[in-house]
Amino acid sequence: MSPFDWLSTLRYLLLGRFPAGPLGGVALTIVLSVTSATLAATIGLAGGVALAMTRGIAHLALMAVVAFFRAIPVLMLIFWTFFLMPILLHVDVPGLATVVCALALIGGAYLSHSVHAGIVSIGKGQLEAALSLGLTSWQALREVILPQAVRVMMPSFVNQCVSLVKDTSLAYIVGVPEFTFLANQLNNRLMVYPAQIFLFVGFVYLVLCGALQWFANTLLGKDAR
Amino acid sequence: MHTWLEPKYFAWLEQGFVFTLALCVCTGLCATLSGFVLAIARTAQSAAIARAASLYVFVFRNSPLLVQLLFWYFGAAALLPSNWMTWLNTPHAATWGPVALRWPSFELFAGWIGLTCYTTAFVGEEFRAGMRGVSRAQEHAAAALGMGRYTTLRHVILPQALRIATPPLAGQYMNLVKNSSLTMAIGVAELSYMSRQVDTETFKTFQAFGIATAFYVLSIAVIEVALVVWQRTGSRALQRGRA
Repeated sequence: MSPFDWLSTLRYLLLGRFPAGPLGGVALTIVLSVTSATLAATIGLAGGVALAMTRGIAHLALMAVVAFFRAIPVLMLIFWTFFLMPILLHVDVPGLATVVCALALIGGAYLSHSVHAGIVSIGKGQLEAALSLGLTSWQALREVILPQAVRVMMPSFVNQCVSLVKDTSLAYIVGVPEFTFLANQLNNRLMVYPAQIFLFVGFVYLVLCGALQWFANTLLGKDAR
Repeated sequence: MHTWLEPKYFAWLEQGFVFTLALCVCTGLCATLSGFVLAIARTAQSAAIARAASLYVFVFRNSPLLVQLLFWYFGAAALLPSNWMTWLNTPHAATWGPVALRWPSFELFAGWIGLTCYTTAFVGEEFRAGMRGVSRAQEHAAAALGMGRYTTLRHVILPQALRIATPPLAGQYMNLVKNSSLTMAIGVAELSYMSRQVDTETFKTFQAFGIATAFYVLSIAVIEVALVVWQRTGSRALQRGRA
């Protein structure tokens, strides 16, 4: 075998064909995670507040939507967005966008559940006190309830972020050149070091998720003090 | 009529669903048993065992299931001695196809191992959380009554811990059903794989994915209902016991 070019292979796994072609590899995984985590947090916050503010039919309908997204596998939702988005939008949607959309929807559904639980956990007394001080219910929510609720729901935000990072590997199914896809491609081309390649891939994800958790813990630990 | 799926394709999807269920039941049983052992190991007195168990949890919880599956499928195949591999591979060759499989294919085997290892880490953490939810006073009271560590665990801690851990455990079984869809990446012919297969053959994407989605939602709903029923009957039995 010709001297295996470790450096360029590693570079390919980390960046894809970046300066020449589109971004890929670990860099794309990170971009994908950050984008979908931001979107998921936005959807989750809006959904949780909506769950807490609505009553009756609207509340039940919203619950059903959230329950639906929590009940289907991420993979299935990626298939759906991959198939439906081009039909609904009448444009050619890149695989990347469909994956971001699917991950944001699933993450948003999980997060709106925990945001709702966080708001409920604060208790009626706080809301009543805020209302009797003359705040409108929106102000009460924003100034009194949410700042307290955020502290309660922070751990589930972190957990959701970690599982989002892991779920970005599913983009592989629709051919987005992120880390797992490139690793699999490399494995199919080389056929000699499958165990080493996938151990390395697992290790990189481990480092990403571990760093995320460590970072969140130190940040939250400081906050609690 | 031609907008609906032909019975043949519907049968494919049904087959995939049965496959998914079988895989989930096998994995669920194994993961529950080993998760239980893992939870005990994490609370073990020996620091080495406890540290090893928490390392296991860290590694398997923080790497993607897909990568783990690919590792078991490609990596383990390369690491295992070749005569093991031929032994694992041979008996299934005759029965591969849409007929009932007698011997699990290597894909299925790898999928089962991967899912079990992954789910074990989560189930073990739920058990441990349940055990931690039982107050320390219970343990001290048991010790004061002269119970040993094992007896305390068996008769005092675990019955209460199981009741605390039931709802999150049900959540983990739901996750297992959803995660089993990832085994399609290594070619296990379960529900998602079949729906994609039907989609490529018929181009009736909406029907194929729709039915598969309905099957998934159905199985999640069944687990949810089972949890509620179990909790109702469980709490009633508890009240009867107290009366």
